[in-house]
Formats: sequence, structure tokens, C-alpha cells
Amino acid sequence: MTFWEIIVSMLGQGLFTTIVTTILAAILALVLGFAGGLMRLSNNRFVRFIVAIYVEVFRGTSLLVQLFWIYFVLPMFGITMSALTAAVLAIGLNYGAYTSEVVRSGIQSVDKGQTEASIALNFTPAQRMRRIIIPQAFIIMLPNLGNQLIELFKSTSLVALITLTDLTYQANVLNASTLQTTEIYTALLVLYFLIAWPLTKGIQILERKLTEGRM
Amino acid sequence: MAEPIVKYNKVTKYFDDLQVLDEIDFEIQPGEKVALIGPSGSGKTTFARLLMMLEEITDGTIEVEGEYLWHEKDDKGNLKPASSEHQRKVRSNIGMVFQHFHLFPHMTVLQNIIEAPVTVQGRDKKEATKAGKDMLDKVGLLDKADAYPAQLSGGQKQRVAIARALVMQPKVLIFDEPTSALDPELVGEVLEVIKSIADEGEASMLLITHEMDFAKEVADRIAFFDGGKIVEDGPPSDILYNPQSERLKDFLERFMNTQ
Amino acid sequence: MVWDWSYAFDILPEIASALSVTISATVVGFILALVLGLIWTLLIRSTNKIVHHVANGIVRFIRNTPLLVQLYFIFYVFPSIGIALDPFTAGVIGLGVHYSTYLSEVFRSGIESVGPGQWEVATALNFTKRKTWTRIILPQAIPPVIPVIGNYFITMFKETPLLSAITLVEILQTAQNIGASTFRYTEPLTIVGVLFLVLSYPASLLIRRLELKIAERY
Repeated sequence: MTFWEIIVSMLGQGLFTTIVTTILAAILALVLGFAGGLMRLSNNRFVRFIVAIYVEVFRGTSLLVQLFWIYFVLPMFGITMSALTAAVLAIGLNYGAYTSEVVRSGIQSVDKGQTEASIALNFTPAQRMRRIIIPQAFIIMLPNLGNQLIELFKSTSLVALITLTDLTYQANVLNASTLQTTEIYTALLVLYFLIAWPLTKGIQILERKLTEGRM
Repeated sequence: MAEPIVKYNKVTKYFDDLQVLDEIDFEIQPGEKVALIGPSGSGKTTFARLLMMLEEITDGTIEVEGEYLWHEKDDKGNLKPASSEHQRKVRSNIGMVFQHFHLFPHMTVLQNIIEAPVTVQGRDKKEATKAGKDMLDKVGLLDKADAYPAQLSGGQKQRVAIARALVMQPKVLIFDEPTSALDPELVGEVLEVIKSIADEGEASMLLITHEMDFAKEVADRIAFFDGGKIVEDGPPSDILYNPQSERLKDFLERFMNTQ
Repeated sequence: MVWDWSYAFDILPEIASALSVTISATVVGFILALVLGLIWTLLIRSTNKIVHHVANGIVRFIRNTPLLVQLYFIFYVFPSIGIALDPFTAGVIGLGVHYSTYLSEVFRSGIESVGPGQWEVATALNFTKRKTWTRIILPQAIPPVIPVIGNYFITMFKETPLLSAITLVEILQTAQNIGASTFRYTEPLTIVGVLFLVLSYPASLLIRRLELKIAERY
């Protein structure tokens, strides 16, 4: 096979799985991150404690260990799931823990005067969060969220180790059948780069657009 | 005399062990403009922030239009801490203009002004937009409606902040050192706006300021704070030209010397 | 039974003994990352346009591709150009090279936080370029970023299980081998998770304290 044939052969199922895993896990991480970040700022100590446990456990153990645990150990407790579900769950939970810290510090870095002005204008706490604090915090968070998205995307390569047929898995299969090792892994690196690099640039452009003339 | 619109009863405030307000009694009449003067750390800002509910009250009560601000009565008529619904209902009578403006940086000038009328008061967006534009016209910034706060000068920001507070139609408007953060050449335009509001406004005003001439011109009454107490309280002419206490004499003297 | 304590205690020593592989891979990889990271930073700062662009491009490429694939590349592709590496060496190189690009970014931000006045003073006092770096700039640039560097050490520690994919027998691989021979994965995999947590969590607390201390000084 030529280099181009190798690249083309990976563009099917493998690329699709990698992208689907990335999108689903990113959505889960974002939801968990925002929920966790807001709960971390709750007045209720119990709520804060629960979230702290979640964050420390998922940041303190390794993503690959979490992936294996969810895929190989949970079935022992009667919870079986597909490799894709396990992958999305593990990556989403792991990055959700990191994202919650980004969300928390983003919200905390919004000027306290914004809260005071909102109280003076008689906003409810929920209105204040939604209309005033989060829109400003989001722009502060954006560079970090962007970095996390890139890291999350790269981490989807781990799902090959639980036999999900993503780009990396497909490369391994191709390698076993053709033995064109050099071409295959070079092509694989190039493919990941061609997705991650424009993503990085896109986020930078979005960031510039959102802050232009306003902040 | 009419019923006071704001009534402080033995209001005390501690920050941890530090007492900043000491059993203060104070009243504001409807439409009355009161200036608060005094050295920094004398408690005047905390006094006003308690009315806006930006600080927790330690002891005593504050009434607005005959309703307790920090408390409400239970079935037996005893005072208990107010629910957030009660707080918001009573607080809707109060507005505030801050030293550092605190405009919402992610919204245009007009959005800044109509956000609370629409979200908080549930007013019709068209009506609120019209009211907002009228208010911008009043402070002379109609042409900046679509600008973002970052594009304005300090004086313009403060005029927008005043319009934002006014559009909520508060019965009491607090100004917390509204010109202290401004470059000297921008102070005049803001004082002018405040004066025109005072002249035509039905609203009572609580004005914390270091601008003595301005206080004399606008205020019906001046209260002098020192050490967490109101040491003197009376018409501007008495307070500024015929101080009774040593502390006020000292304060005015030091003040005139630094001018 | 879902969880068997006596089995867990039986296999604990075997898994724990593999920690030495995990930790030495982390330490050696980290040292490599530090040295290489500093080299990237200096190359990217080079006034030579070609050096700048080439270094920048390499760092960008490494940062935007997965560590796992890089490990495969080093372990499976290098032998075809005559460099056959054992799993530990390949793993350490992969880990070190990958994280060198992150540390390079940390060094860059540290160096940029030193004001231009310091460069001017060094020139005014007639320091050589080398002395300016070693005596003036780096001693100011590095301490404030030590906590960030420390956090990368912990991150690298938590990434070492990836080295099992290139057949290095570290703690995850040990656990899997045990699991494969006994058909019980619950205990070995849980033990691995707990080991990571009990080592990395106190370490991150330590770094948070260090961060506060350093914030006081700078």
C-alpha cells in the first residue's frame, strides 16, 4: 500500500469512531464540569464535599486505569456496557473533573463588583449566574476549555486498548496485516495532527472574536 | 411630618471582632436628599451597603416603607430573618450607584440598562428599551447606546450606571462615592447629572461623598460619621459652617487644608 | 463474592513491587522532559528564523498528537531505522519527549514574566549572554513556575500506565497479568487505582502548599 492508500483506509470507521467518541465525551465532560463547578461553589458543605471527592478521585487516578475499571470491573457488579459507552463515560468523567476546576476558578475570577451590581438591581441568584456571571466567566474559561478539548481528543486514542475501533485501533490492525509499520504510524500521527491543529487554531479565533472590543 | 421611607433602628455591624457601626438610629424622609460625610473607615459606606443588603446586618433593624428589610414577622409577631422573597420585595425600592461603576462588560450600554427591567421586573422589552433610551438621553449618552463599556470614559461609564439604576424606578437611590474613581476633569459631568436628578427627582437619595461643595448644593441634610456613629446631623449650613463637635471641626479643617 | 479481601492482600505485594518500574519511568522521563523542555524554549527564542520555526513546528506537532501513538511510533517504527529500544527506554523517551513540549511552554511563560528591565540591567552591568541567563534571568523565571512543573510531574506519573501498551510491565500491566491468570480483575485494577490516588493526592496537596509559599515570596 502507498502512504496515501494507508491514510484513505483509515478515514472510514476509525476516524468516525474517534470523532464520535470525542464529541460525546466532550459533551459529558462539559455538563459534568459545569454542574460540578457550580456545586463546588454551593453554600451546602455536603454538596461541596461530594463534588470534591469526585474531582479528587478522577484527577488522582489515571485515565487508562479508569477506562479499564469501567470496562472490565463494572461487569463484575452486573453493569455491562459497550466499548463506546465505557469510553465516553471514562473520558467524560475524567475530563469533567478537570473541567469543574476550570469552571470554578473561572466563576471566581469574575469581579466581585458584578455580583454587587446584580444584587443592587435585584436579580435572583439564578438570574445573576445565568445572565451576568457565567457569560463573563465563560470567556475567561475559554482558553482552558480549548486546551482541555485538545487533550480530550488526544486521549481518545486510549480507547483502542479496550478494542474500540478508533483511528489508533485501526492502525494497529492494519499494521498486523501489512507490516508497513513506518508508513502506518507516520500516517496515524499526521491524521491526529491534522485534526488537533485546526481545532487549536479555531478556538484561538473564537476567543479573539468573543473578546473583541468588549473586555 | 410624613412617615419616613427609611428607618434604621439601633443598627450595629461587626466585621469579625471589629465594630464598624454602633447602634445607629437614622431616618430618611420621602424625597429627601441626605449626604453622608466623614473620614474613611468611619462606617458610612457600610451604613449604606446594609441598606442595599450587600453586607449582613449584625444587630438592629432597617425598615423601608414600613416593612422590615432584613427581617419579617412570624405568626406570633416576632421578628425572624427574612426569606429571600421578602428581601427581594423590599429591596426592589432601593437602587445603588457604585464607586467603580460595575457595568456589565459583556453587554452594550443599552443592554446594561434594560437587562434588569426585563429580567427582574418582567417588563415588556419594547417598553423597557424606550424607557432605557429616554434615560440615556437624560444622561446625555443616547449616541453610545450600542457601545460596550470598555469603549467609554470613566465619566461616561458612571452616567450609564446612573441611568441603569434610575430605570428601575427606585424610591431610594444610594450613591457610593460616585466620583472618587474618576479623573478630575471627568468629575463635573457626573455631578451635573446627579444634580439634575436630585432637582427633578421624587426619589430619596443617600449620597456618600467627599465633594463638600456638591453636598451643600444638593443635600437637604448632611450626616457626619465618625467611629461608627453619627456625630452630627443637620442642614448643610449648620454642619459645614457651624460645626458643634470637635471631631467635625477637625474633619472640616483637615478637609479644607487638603483641598 | 464481588470483592475478596484475602485475594486483594495476596496480590498487593506483587503489584506494589511493580511501583518501582512506574516511579523510575516517571523520574527518568521527567528529567528528560525538563532538559529537553528548556532546550525547546531556548531554540524557539533563537533569533535565527529557521531554528525558531523548526523548533516551533516540532513542538507543535508533538503537542497535537497523542502520547500513545508516539509510544507506538518509538517502539515499533524506530527498529526499522536500526534503533531497537527496550520497552522501558522507549517509554521513558516517549513520556519525556511528549511532556518536554508542555514544560517548554511553562519555561517560556516564566521567562516572559521577567521584566525587560532585568535584561537591560544585565547589559548595563556588562554580563555575558550566558551569565545573563544563568545568573539573572533563569533564577527569577524558574521559582514562580515550580508548582506548575510539579503538577506536570504528577501528570506524568499518572500517564505511565500507557507504557503497558508497549509491553512495559509497570503496575497496570502487572495487575492485568494477575487478572488474566486468575480471571479476577476487580481487585487488581482497583488496587492500581487506589495506589495512584494515595500517591498523587498527597503530592498535589504538597504542591498546593508550595504554591502558597512561593506566592508569598514573589
